[in-house]
Amino acid sequence: MARRSRSERLWLRYLILFTWAAFCLVPMLWFLSIGLRPRTEVITAEPIYWPTWSLDAWHMIWRDWPMRAYLINSLMAIAGSVVICVGLAIPAAYSLARYEYRGRDDIGFYILSTRMMAPAIVAIPIFFLFRNLGLLDTVWALMLVYAAINLSITTWIIRSYMLDIPKELEDAARTDGASDLTILWEIIIPACRPGIITAAVIAAIFAINEFLFTLLIASTPAAYTLSVALANFSGGTDGIIYNAIALVAFIAFLPVFLVVLMIQKHLSRGLTMGAVKG
Amino acid sequence: MTDALSNPGAVKAAPVTRPRRRRSRTMRRLFPYLLVAPAVIYLLGITLYPGLFAMWQSLYFVRFNNATFVGLENYADLMRDREFWQALWNTLVIGTISLTVQTVLALTLAYHAYRDPWVKGWRILFLMPMLFMPSAVAYLWQLAFNDGRVISDILMRAGVVDATIPFLSSVWLARLTLIVTDVWQWTPFLFIIFVAGLQSQDAEVEEAARLDGASWFQIFWNVSLPLLRPVIAVAVVLRGIDISTMFASVTIMTAGTPGGMTETISYFIYRTGFRMFNFGYASAASVVMLVLTIVIAQTVVKRAFRSGRA
Repeated sequence: MARRSRSERLWLRYLILFTWAAFCLVPMLWFLSIGLRPRTEVITAEPIYWPTWSLDAWHMIWRDWPMRAYLINSLMAIAGSVVICVGLAIPAAYSLARYEYRGRDDIGFYILSTRMMAPAIVAIPIFFLFRNLGLLDTVWALMLVYAAINLSITTWIIRSYMLDIPKELEDAARTDGASDLTILWEIIIPACRPGIITAAVIAAIFAINEFLFTLLIASTPAAYTLSVALANFSGGTDGIIYNAIALVAFIAFLPVFLVVLMIQKHLSRGLTMGAVKG
Repeated sequence: MTDALSNPGAVKAAPVTRPRRRRSRTMRRLFPYLLVAPAVIYLLGITLYPGLFAMWQSLYFVRFNNATFVGLENYADLMRDREFWQALWNTLVIGTISLTVQTVLALTLAYHAYRDPWVKGWRILFLMPMLFMPSAVAYLWQLAFNDGRVISDILMRAGVVDATIPFLSSVWLARLTLIVTDVWQWTPFLFIIFVAGLQSQDAEVEEAARLDGASWFQIFWNVSLPLLRPVIAVAVVLRGIDISTMFASVTIMTAGTPGGMTETISYFIYRTGFRMFNFGYASAASVVMLVLTIVIAQTVVKRAFRSGRA
């Protein structure tokens, strides 16, 4: 009796898991097939499920669109923002994790709460700020905005990893006469490297995905990132160029996927800003 | 700063005098503040400054480079604006349904996956949609639902419907497209967190319950789920925050149609500010949303993160 109900459960388990796997994968594979077909087979009277395979979109994005500029903009904005972000987050996290002082918890919560800010709420003032600074339509503005968006997440992730480092490690160094900054640099940072890497990866992903600010700040290819460039893959009256969009989506997906595979173990902890330890 | 920055060798070499000692004691007290200050100042730049700016601008009628002081008129108009309330309601309705569906799905999947021998494989497979740019995902489903009519075609072949479904012309169908898009991309977020939460639970508790003759479902419902509550709280709060800011899919897929019934609050602010160039009015809406955000942050988020802190 018990045995039968157990095998029934397994049957149900795999039915559910395989169904969801199909729901995840089928749209992705279909979208990939959109990226690998000529434009004439994208929007048709009857949807085509097995297209004539072609690299039209691949040639088009490099030939007709400033794809190289989009890629460089994305990479610069992401790399710059991650550096700013992690550079500010490490000392802040160290302060929150290792010192007792008045107002610490309030400061920590304030940093956390900026994660809640809807981009649209601050979009207009930020837009005017960058306009007044003459930074509209530049990668620098994107860098600064992405860093600001991610600062709360990175600070809390790194703080969570720092809390795990045994205090004895520092105490030993302190009795040897090391200063606080030496301790941070030579003991704490190496000890929480996985946390810093996780924070950096998650910050990079959020930066790649950012859409609203980028849409407002970038108005020409001079500052378009991949995320917003997609919205411009349209041939005027011909409508949206889906095969190019699909291909660019996968070009951005691939490196993200590979990097996430490397930090897989830390992903849940990173996504919850350290609140859930996987 | 120089005191702390100097390396220990230099400190040892320097003659230790009394005034230097005292300064370093003050330094010691200020040090943690100095460490956290750059981050806080940076964040004030994107929260306090925009908040004050929006408050100031919300008192003006702004057209191009002219600003006329109108007092609280923008707020009065906003309170009477049916489109604003509709956008707020849409955000709430779409967000609640989407969040509920995602949570139930993610819990079901996590419950079935976390004890499976291939849990690592399931995790990698299931997290993939999350790694696409939201704008790309919006185009994917826009093509599937509307431009490519693929969903209609599949349903027609299956005999469920006998004509192309006009997803954009019905309120609930249009909302459904946004919900499906969000569920497809973001259920993995909850799934990954729930699996991690379930895996980190003490296996002995489950084992003890199982030896007492409880079924897996009973164990899940009576033992694992209550233990998972703080994890669920944190994950759902974070996801709720992100859903409430839904923007890319609205812009790309529905642009608010039909009749503003899929317009979210983010899209409302964007449209008022950057499509109608009514910046004062959009700022007033921003200020209202900012106040709402602060209230929610102080209550819900604070509690979730306090209990969730492992």
